[in-house]
Amino acid sequence: MSLMKRSEQNVQKVNRVELTPVSRVQEGEEAYTLTVELPGVSEKEIELTLENKVLSITAENTLETFKDYTLVLNELPEVRYRAAFDLPEHVDTDSIKAAHKNGLLILTLPKREEVKPRRIAITAG
Amino acid sequence: MRAYLNTISNPWRVFDELMGDFPFDLFDTALRVRAGRFPRVNVWESEDGLAVQAEVAGVDPEKLDVVIDANVLTIKGEREQADGGRTEFQRSFNLPFELEDSKIKAAVKNGLLTVTIPRKAAEKRKIAIEKL
Repeated sequence: MSLMKRSEQNVQKVNRVELTPVSRVQEGEEAYTLTVELPGVSEKEIELTLENKVLSITAENTLETFKDYTLVLNELPEVRYRAAFDLPEHVDTDSIKAAHKNGLLILTLPKREEVKPRRIAITAG
Repeated sequence: MRAYLNTISNPWRVFDELMGDFPFDLFDTALRVRAGRFPRVNVWESEDGLAVQAEVAGVDPEKLDVVIDANVLTIKGEREQADGGRTEFQRSFNLPFELEDSKIKAAVKNGLLTVTIPRKAAEKRKIAIEKL
């Protein structure tokens, strides 16, 4: 019985459409900000991995189902979001921060000290 | 798709009407979804009412408006873009029944807006027939 259930669940997972989420990157002086749109995805459904400077994001959305209701207009699919980003050499991978807000995953990718802009003081001669 | 769920205030409505049952509406929806000006929705219906789920990722709940006026449900808001620009989006639906205004609920979670709209219980009255 439980085996049956599990295989059903697996089938459901396989049936999900894979999509690349909408994302954007902004460059700031101190860090890059990577924003990924993940509507309907709860925090625990987001998997973030970093391997050899490749940052991968996998996430699955959860759509509410209403008991005793019938679906009359269906535009939201059950999807698996998948994206991978090649991080530049000068990103400090140890201090990457991730935040989740309003269905957006916001990653802060700080630059290494040596590439941050520096002001050089001029000494009067 | 049932007629009452057609989005109104749609500049292409005339075309939609001309095309009748042909699913041009799907095409139209897809186009505007791409432009980010049109949230995608799932609509559920039952004896009790309607439940609408709309995709509103990246929208500050304070900038989100859900309005019901004369049986028309409108979802509108403002999405902030990475470059500081803003996109406004709006979508309206004709509702197929009278609603219980005081019991409408809306909630946002993880970029999904859920609006539940209960149906107004129909008042049944028996009319006595006078014998003449």
